[in-house]
Amino acid sequence: MGETSQLAALGSSAKSVRIAGRRRTSWVDRHFARLAVLPTTVLMLLVFGIPLLFSAWLSLEGWSPDQNLFGGKFNGLANYDDLLTDPEFIGSLILTLQYTVVVVTAELGVGLGIALLLNIDLPWIGVFRTLLIIPMMITPVVAAFCWKLLLDPDHGVINYFLQQHIVWLGRPGTALLSVAVVNIWQNAPYVAILLLAGLRSLPTEPVEAAKIDGASRFQMFWHITLPLLRPYLMVAMLLRMIFEFRSFDNVYVLTSGGPANSTMTLSMYTYLASFVRFDLSLGAAAAWMMLLISLIMCGFFIALVRRRDAN
Amino acid sequence: MRKRSERLAVYAALTALTVLFLFPLVWILGLSLKTRLQVFASPPLFLWWPTFENYAATLSRADFGQAFVNSLLVSAGAVSTSLIVGVPAAYALARFQFAGRNFLFFALLSMRMLPPIAVLVPMYVLFSAFGLTTTRTSVILAYTTFSLPLVVWIMRGFFEDLPRELEESAWVDGASRFQAFFHVVLPLIKPGLVAACILCLQLAWNDFLFAAVLTNNATRTLPVLMAAFSGGDTGVDWGGMTASGVLVILPVILFSFAAQRHLVAGLSSGAVKG
Repeated sequence: MGETSQLAALGSSAKSVRIAGRRRTSWVDRHFARLAVLPTTVLMLLVFGIPLLFSAWLSLEGWSPDQNLFGGKFNGLANYDDLLTDPEFIGSLILTLQYTVVVVTAELGVGLGIALLLNIDLPWIGVFRTLLIIPMMITPVVAAFCWKLLLDPDHGVINYFLQQHIVWLGRPGTALLSVAVVNIWQNAPYVAILLLAGLRSLPTEPVEAAKIDGASRFQMFWHITLPLLRPYLMVAMLLRMIFEFRSFDNVYVLTSGGPANSTMTLSMYTYLASFVRFDLSLGAAAAWMMLLISLIMCGFFIALVRRRDAN
Repeated sequence: MRKRSERLAVYAALTALTVLFLFPLVWILGLSLKTRLQVFASPPLFLWWPTFENYAATLSRADFGQAFVNSLLVSAGAVSTSLIVGVPAAYALARFQFAGRNFLFFALLSMRMLPPIAVLVPMYVLFSAFGLTTTRTSVILAYTTFSLPLVVWIMRGFFEDLPRELEESAWVDGASRFQAFFHVVLPLIKPGLVAACILCLQLAWNDFLFAAVLTNNATRTLPVLMAAFSGGDTGVDWGGMTASGVLVILPVILFSFAAQRHLVAGLSSGAVKG
């Protein structure tokens, strides 16, 4: 802000003194930016900074809920050691990473397909756009719970259509598939909306030029549209990875991590350790492992945003 | 213009997709309009005379009413806290250079990006120590971890789009920074405030994890109640369950339609402009 406003202020200082009759740079004005961000900074420390630091400390202790806040015994890295030697945690870690990759890939594929269709200028396309994004807006717990009824082995409509009696949520393979499908159903529209915004902002000249050169529609998509869309695909992919990595709501409602840990995502594992078994120190250690992995993904996202801001 | 056959193909594909994506919801809506006998009819009924008895039963349930009020209070609390705290910060981030600006910016972004359970574990311990668990205040505070960054990100975009000359001329005319902010800038970004408000409302209304851990039977929100309905076995009251589900998602769908224009900026944490 500096120079222009100072110049403007200098040029009209006489006028401003006459009108307002006040000192031109009061203490509040000089510190305006700092005062404006103060409440946010305080609240962030309160709900985010302090809890995370405390959780780091908690993860190094053997703390139980009947002890006072700093009453736990310092254990060093014992909790982390426990986690990394617990087959259930390792299984959960691998499952979550695999699940994230598969679900995000599917969401990007389906989302891109929807976005390409919605990008075609036809009458009434807005109606489809509005209808297709409904799944992503609804409460995840309610979505999962609706699917639970649809997947019901005895009375569910899906088994009726298939004329089968499949216990979808009762067997490891189909349970994981069901959780994944519900997630893809709910979030592919989200990817579609982001990519549609991207498609809308692409320059039209390269496609026009290719058309004149006689390129086929597939060639234009593969060699022109897709490369131009890359930054948007990256944003969508990273955001979905960050959000799928923490999958919890639909897992909780559909399977609670079972059967036989086949849907035990890291969030579910951490939840069970912390709030069912009340081993909050172990929970804090698991939470920190999640944090570290998320921070890496977040770092990539921030790099993307900075590059966009720089342009 | 495209060929007629191509246009038909596109419409056919879109219709098929829409049917596929909306069928689960339409089916659930249908179940909520059936009597208990109709719900379990085999083969399933595709045409019937709708009944509203499930809605009447749900709306007269004390726990549903209580959870509805809790959801409203907690969402309103989270939204207003985040707006009051976040809007000035967004303005400062958009307009002024100050020490720690970039750090604050990216710290806020990571607040939205890091897994909520990672904050929830220590938050639960700290809130218990201060006697805050099972209160609505604790849920409101927890919700600011995602609604505050959202407000700052969206509003920063709106402030940046506003021409700087507006406040500068107000400063020149002798207005203080605060006066210019309140009387010149804020009235101009009302649409932004509405968008931020709706997107935060949606997040708060939909949250399950924080509310599940930080509330009890008296303070629980609608998603927590819904999860309790479906806990373990799905039981036999499918009509009641689906009717309450429809009532929970109805407001949020209406909110979202109202904010559709701003959805993209909100969803991508500002990484993609709508």
